[in-house]
Amino acid sequence: MNDTVTTTISPDVRQRHADCMALIASDKCRASFSELFDFYAPRVKSYMLRLGASALEAEDLAQDVMVTVWRKAGMYDRKQASVSTWIFRVARNRRIDKFRRTSRPDLDADEPMLRPPDIEQPDAALDRVQIEETVRAELVKLPHEQLELLQAAFYEGLSHSEIATKFNLPLGTVKSRIRLAFGRLRGQLEPEGGDADT
Amino acid sequence: MMQQPATSSYSELYSAYAAGQLDPAFALLLETQSMLRRDVRGALAASEAVSGFMLETAEPVQMSAGAGARALELIDALESGDSVTATDFTGDAELACLPMPLRDKALEAFDAAGWQANAPGIRRMKLDVGSDLEIELYRIQPNAKVPRHSHGGTEFTLVVAGGFSDETGSYGPGDLAVKGPDDTHQPVGDPGEVCFALAVRDAGLQFTGIMGVIQRVLGR
Repeated sequence: MNDTVTTTISPDVRQRHADCMALIASDKCRASFSELFDFYAPRVKSYMLRLGASALEAEDLAQDVMVTVWRKAGMYDRKQASVSTWIFRVARNRRIDKFRRTSRPDLDADEPMLRPPDIEQPDAALDRVQIEETVRAELVKLPHEQLELLQAAFYEGLSHSEIATKFNLPLGTVKSRIRLAFGRLRGQLEPEGGDADT
Repeated sequence: MMQQPATSSYSELYSAYAAGQLDPAFALLLETQSMLRRDVRGALAASEAVSGFMLETAEPVQMSAGAGARALELIDALESGDSVTATDFTGDAELACLPMPLRDKALEAFDAAGWQANAPGIRRMKLDVGSDLEIELYRIQPNAKVPRHSHGGTEFTLVVAGGFSDETGSYGPGDLAVKGPDDTHQPVGDPGEVCFALAVRDAGLQFTGIMGVIQRVLGR
């Protein structure tokens, strides 16, 4: 059994959270806000604690994030992201404002950022909902040891070398495992360039 | 059709960005590139979806008693003193065409200090993103020459609109040029459209391993 993932919420609940956002935006609906608050505030608090905030700071930041959710509810678009992802972004940005601890990781030789773009179909809109669905469907299937590396990278924001130290793994293994897992999340069945190293 | 594998390549920059650990200058560079390139946009969307999932499945930590009620009080206080500040577009009309969030940063810099002339047809403007790195927007007119220069450290230049060419080749929207301390070059604006480019420069700080990247990826 996988103990990293506690509970994922059902598509119905996710839909409901999106409805709550819409009601806050259109009607300033307080009941909807309370519903989102009860679910997300304790999770945002948990996130802030994990990232090193004190209990007091974490509580304040969670309050602050939720008030921002109220203020910016009109900017939420369910075609762009789930409520969880959107609130994560708000929380992340709030944390960056509060504690500026940012870094620049080393760039790999095959850094995609430096590559020329692949042939694009300019008209094809990016289906973010589909991307998020694939990511979610694959995340719950990932083996525990890949999931915890993703958590360290995408949630706690550790660099690959920090992850290698934390999990006592060779750097190359960390890199290939994360690359492999991310490939799966993007709907790739085969690891690119072989060398899965699992 | 599925995206081809190359488009979904993972980068450590993507997870650092999603988690909020990337230097703000690099974050802006990456956000701008994502507005210009669908492959980068998709990779960032997937990365943030991972982070969002982690938040959703995080072990909740109970808020203190009455926290929800206090949040509603804060909201009431906020609503009564409603101060909506509308940002009006007084800045350069050209800048209004830049992709967000670069546009906001550029308009802010335009209001603060404006463009600085650098050479005939070349203007530049420092942006304030709260980074220790230097980040500048360049405006290069068609056929205008950026004075030949070398770099103290490493320079990353993302073409936002139009294009420029130098000894190593041509760069168009979404392309990123990287120059190391030993490179000198003289970019020239491509004919046609005005070129806008975003440059992130690292004066003394070292990018480990970046010279290898330059040689292998861009080495010509």
